[in-house]
Amino acid sequence: MPDAEAPVLDEAVLIELKETTGDDPAFVRDLVETYLADVPIQLGGIEAAIAANDAEALIRPAHTLKSSSAAVGAMRLSDVSRTLEMAGRSGTLDASAPDNAKAARAEWQSVEAAFSAWMAGEGRA
Amino acid sequence: MSDIGKALVVDDSSVNRQLLVRRLEKLGLDVLQAENGAEGLAVLAANPGVIDVVLLDVVMPELDGYQTLAAMKANDSMRHIPVLVVSSVEELDSVVRCIELGATDYLTKPINPSILAARIDASLAAKRLHDLEQESLERQRALNRTIQRQKEELSRFLSPQVAALVSSPEGEQLLAGHRREITVAFCDLRGFTAFAEQAEPEILIGVLAEYHRMMGGAITEHGGTLEHFAGDGVMVFFNDPVAQDDHVERAVRMAVTMRTRFAELASVWHHRGYELGFGVGIAVGFATLGRIGYDGRHDYGAIGNVTILASRLSSQAQAGQILLSPRAQLMIEGLVESESVGELTLKGLRQPVLASNVVALR
Repeated sequence: MPDAEAPVLDEAVLIELKETTGDDPAFVRDLVETYLADVPIQLGGIEAAIAANDAEALIRPAHTLKSSSAAVGAMRLSDVSRTLEMAGRSGTLDASAPDNAKAARAEWQSVEAAFSAWMAGEGRA
Repeated sequence: MSDIGKALVVDDSSVNRQLLVRRLEKLGLDVLQAENGAEGLAVLAANPGVIDVVLLDVVMPELDGYQTLAAMKANDSMRHIPVLVVSSVEELDSVVRCIELGATDYLTKPINPSILAARIDASLAAKRLHDLEQESLERQRALNRTIQRQKEELSRFLSPQVAALVSSPEGEQLLAGHRREITVAFCDLRGFTAFAEQAEPEILIGVLAEYHRMMGGAITEHGGTLEHFAGDGVMVFFNDPVAQDDHVERAVRMAVTMRTRFAELASVWHHRGYELGFGVGIAVGFATLGRIGYDGRHDYGAIGNVTILASRLSSQAQAGQILLSPRAQLMIEGLVESESVGELTLKGLRQPVLASNVVALR
């Protein structure tokens, strides 16, 4: 389950990202846009794997979503993706897997909203 | 374009790829990218000798990190390229497996820029070292080929023992000059001067070539060191530069072989109307051996009374005679049947010399 304490979007990650990649806001924006375009693809993969009850097929999209979310500061989405990846690696999917997939989908809506706000504000700076 | 190196990023996650490419470019690298292992191998194959480091994700579609690593390590042109495995913290088991498969090191996501810089530096240094080793190996191979060719060329001009000596580690010391007991055999032709005056140059050259070929064969068979050919005169010595305990015996056996083969040549020449005879002088004694000559032209030669004695005995020899100095006769006694030819007065020597002729080998 997502860690309720963690923020939807850890802006410190984005600030550090900007500082360590040459202080180029355009680069960070591009990266975030790549991320925003990629999440639905990975979420689709997760949902398809769970619908097919295919643990093996769950690993890769969950793994990708976990690390790309962490890279841009979407820590709660990264955490729930990690839980899904572990479930996939365990080889069998129990009842928690569909719940976590739903949680990821819900978290994605929060993430998208948070990034829209960030893009309108800090991201333009 | 940059000078520090070229990296290949293999990762199926577009976010991770984009971020890693950016970080590597910030470090000054040129970066190529691939979305999975199969594509990564294709990029490597299409850019031979160009990529200095590969950053490889483990979990990928098509061909995963393990399969990609295994394929790289099985390929001669990719095996030496450093591979940094990029993985998440939970995947330390897979990192161990990657290191066992030949990965150089690993990085955990999210990537820490300082650790990335350190790993890249180490990988580029390892790659440069490898490249330098390859270059140096290639230069060494080229040098060896040159030396081999020079040795082959040398052995056409020098006797094989001297050619080997020139290119051996102790060569310089031996060439600089040393003293040793040697046996010298000096051979020349009776009637050659008269023949040379009458014969057409082409015939003269032809006869000399047949004679030298026969002599050369006998010298090699008996391990003699050819000092020089001078027209019909040939000087050969034994026990240097290669030590030979039986140097007197070798010289005598060589002379007898030459005499037998010369008889066959002489009978052919006789039918053509040329009358030539063969004489040999053999002496044993100490000589100074080494490089003789001046800048630009040196011979490996022997200097001492022994060479003069052998030469004088050779000029006194009748056609078919092999004349031994008293010391040579003493050292070979029992191995040959010989007859005394009495005391000979030799040019330049105060004392007459009691010489004997080798009739046959026992």
